[in-house]
Amino acid sequence: MKVVGARIPRYDGVAHVTGRTTYVDDVRVPGTLWAKALRSPHHHAGIVRLDTRPAEEMKGVHAVITHKDVPLNVYGHLEALGIPADEPLLAEDDVRYKGQPIALVAAEDEELAAEAVERIEIEFEERPALLDVRKAFDPDAPRIHQWGNWYPHFEGGMDRRQIRKGDIDWAFAHADVIVQGVYRPAAVEHCPLETQVCQVVPEPNGRLTIYSCTQALYFSMGVVAAHLQVPLNRLKFVGGTTGGGFGGKVDTATETMTALLALKSGRPVKWRWTREEEFLCSSTRAPWHMEIADAVTKDGWILGRKMLTLHDAGAYARFSPYGVTKHSFHHTGAYTIPNLHFDGYVVFTNRVPTTAMRGYGVTSVSFAVETHMSRVAAVLGIDPFELRLKNANRIGDTSPNGVVYTDPSTVPTIQAIAEAIGHELPAAYRTMTNEPRSGEWLPEHLVAQLGTPEEH
Amino acid sequence: MAVATDEATEARAAEVLRPTSEEEAVAAFGDGADVLVVGGGTIVVPDLTARRLRPRRVLLLREAGLAGVRRDGSRVTIGAATSLQELVDLPAPLGPCAANIADLEIRSAATVGGNLCAGEGLEAPRGDLQGAFLALGAVVRSAGEGGIVEEPLEDFLPRRRRRLALDVSFEEPAAGAFAALDRPHTHDYTALAVSGARAADGTIRLAATGAGSYGVRLRSAEAIAGDPEAAGEAALRDVDPHDDALASAWYRRRVLPVLVRKVLAQLKEAA
Amino acid sequence: MNLTVNGVAREVESPPLTPLLHVLREELGITGPKAGCLQGGCGACTVLVDGEPRRACLLPLAYAEGAEITTVEGLGTPERLAPIQQAFIHHYAAQCGFCTSGMLLAAQAYLARGGSDDPEEIQEALAGHVCRCTGYAKIIDAVAAAARGDSFDLTTTAVGKYTTVTTGGRA
Repeated sequence: MKVVGARIPRYDGVAHVTGRTTYVDDVRVPGTLWAKALRSPHHHAGIVRLDTRPAEEMKGVHAVITHKDVPLNVYGHLEALGIPADEPLLAEDDVRYKGQPIALVAAEDEELAAEAVERIEIEFEERPALLDVRKAFDPDAPRIHQWGNWYPHFEGGMDRRQIRKGDIDWAFAHADVIVQGVYRPAAVEHCPLETQVCQVVPEPNGRLTIYSCTQALYFSMGVVAAHLQVPLNRLKFVGGTTGGGFGGKVDTATETMTALLALKSGRPVKWRWTREEEFLCSSTRAPWHMEIADAVTKDGWILGRKMLTLHDAGAYARFSPYGVTKHSFHHTGAYTIPNLHFDGYVVFTNRVPTTAMRGYGVTSVSFAVETHMSRVAAVLGIDPFELRLKNANRIGDTSPNGVVYTDPSTVPTIQAIAEAIGHELPAAYRTMTNEPRSGEWLPEHLVAQLGTPEEH
Repeated sequence: MAVATDEATEARAAEVLRPTSEEEAVAAFGDGADVLVVGGGTIVVPDLTARRLRPRRVLLLREAGLAGVRRDGSRVTIGAATSLQELVDLPAPLGPCAANIADLEIRSAATVGGNLCAGEGLEAPRGDLQGAFLALGAVVRSAGEGGIVEEPLEDFLPRRRRRLALDVSFEEPAAGAFAALDRPHTHDYTALAVSGARAADGTIRLAATGAGSYGVRLRSAEAIAGDPEAAGEAALRDVDPHDDALASAWYRRRVLPVLVRKVLAQLKEAA
Repeated sequence: MNLTVNGVAREVESPPLTPLLHVLREELGITGPKAGCLQGGCGACTVLVDGEPRRACLLPLAYAEGAEITTVEGLGTPERLAPIQQAFIHHYAAQCGFCTSGMLLAAQAYLARGGSDDPEEIQEALAGHVCRCTGYAKIIDAVAAAARGDSFDLTTTAVGKYTTVTTGGRA
């Protein structure tokens, strides 16, 4: 425990301030070719014709790859978590988001690679695009995914992440007021200073050395091995140095394609995204559409919550079912609500597939829940601190997914905030603890939710 | 290692012209057809890097001796290759307008000529200084087809893309003013700004940047400058703002009258 | 074309329009300045040109001819860190480190022209530099500390003593 509480310089501090930290783009391997991608200019289109020969025939171009070059083109990164594969590494018959990679070129320098991409001949047949999650459920919405417009593979073949707890009809029948709100946080770019980048070196012993900016070295290694259909020991990943990731460098967005170019050309290859590609084509934090209706009593008890979440997954599932699942577990926030009716949909749109970003799935619902609590307080004319403390998690309360709280910190945290900003609390709220509910903090409707999970 | 020396790359490389005097620059520019002028490079070099521009000939202007702020009595002449940073301490509108552009490093490289002659960017207007110079009643001396001419900036702007700006000059005003939408981030272009100047004879000139594809005089506002409320509203008749990456047309219309009123108030206070 | 980089005279062969950043990183193998955006929008490429901070991604090689270029490698070494580098280490002003090179050089130039520890002035001087990791507060603290000439003890680590020499001052 030498480091806890001690002031320790970062182990990479000296390297950072002397310019010695080696990021992927700083790796120098003689003979490295530059990669460039041909990307879809359409939100949604069929690929009618693709001819890469004009690029292949250019002097200085050493490899061109399409989906045909990928041993396993459609591989689900989270198949181990039960999310089936839906996304091609390189587009096959269609493109479903603007910027989707279709082909890649490896050439002697960046200029040549860019020119080669321009020479690839491709014909599209444009299709109607779905860009608004709310429209995905219309009977006449364009169908944009082989599974339909929303993910249907939650456990039991469910088409949504569903949480039902207690008796929501009872809650709504016994409420004094129903408070509704709609919350729609927009997409957020990770925008790391270092764009997506990868350098691959084919080794004489048949292995590939992959310099990766991934946040998840072993995870990405598994992804590349699966796409290439090679055993893990064929790959040597070098990484752990990232110029900012924030969740956007878990997608293994460059490694497999760069590796394929290295294999096909027999040369080291580097693929570095431009800042434009980073903004336009990299995955983002998802936009969300959340509707909350709370059944509340006029003295501030939240009897029940109905919630509908539409998560904009973009064109493919990626990690979205996982994000929505985490989201669902937190839809009561730091508060105890015994009667719940939650439905969360992973909705497909013709946009860049969305991905993790700090607090994946949870920041959206936290934002919605806290804003909604303030709204409830305003509607009821109750102090927003008191409303929160009244409904705050306590020892013995249960979460939406049945977890029993053993030491929730909501009460002391809110009290600390009130004190820090000089907000006076009445005595009963000032002396409140997170001990199991009793007395005035244990209304009739909360009695049933106490106890161990076996009793539910 | 990545040095461009092979055949294909030579063919792709542009001819680079490096005039060392005004005469050489004018000769190199010719009639402006098929030559790209690089002042500081802050606007043009990213386009070259991204291959949005692929010129056959490139004229590097910074070595032609066209930089500097000269005074001849009350007449100020600013060379086209003068950096924006050199303007920062000048009186309003020019000083605060220049200070509001990007950051120190960009301002130190960017040139007055490059800024005045900037085309429309990717979804955003450029030419932050246009409004300030319009308010100053500036005159531009430029070369190109028809030789070297001197003309009011207002006449120059519609044809700026085919001219080589050499310098811009104006009479020092009795008072100047500048108001802008606070820049959201350092390297953004001016979303909306209004410049004003009162000449020695009391005439007021007002101009806006970011309310159209290039800087524009606010003549309707000038006509009733004595009534700032009305002038602010009147200015809306002189502009044609677009939605772009920096701001919506709606927002620009809401803010323009506010900036006009601020500028008129500044001018009045400087009386 | 000739220029001096970190005190060493170099002759480069890149064409005159090549951005200085590309010349440094690709022809000379000096990778301290980074390619963050290639549009002049982020500051990760900033180097000192005759002591003045400039975006290397925007500077055609021709305009750098004959100039003295300083990159982060020329600021100091692990054995002899410049005060601004020490300040950045002490104040945790670098997380991923990608923006750090540009920040340091802009800060160094600011200190060289007599910049104070006023946070607003520091922000103005570093306004061209984006950081997505730190939230800027610690960077400003570090520059302010260097402006004041604070001293730092960087020798204590969890695994033993660094050999870094500490000095204060603004040199």
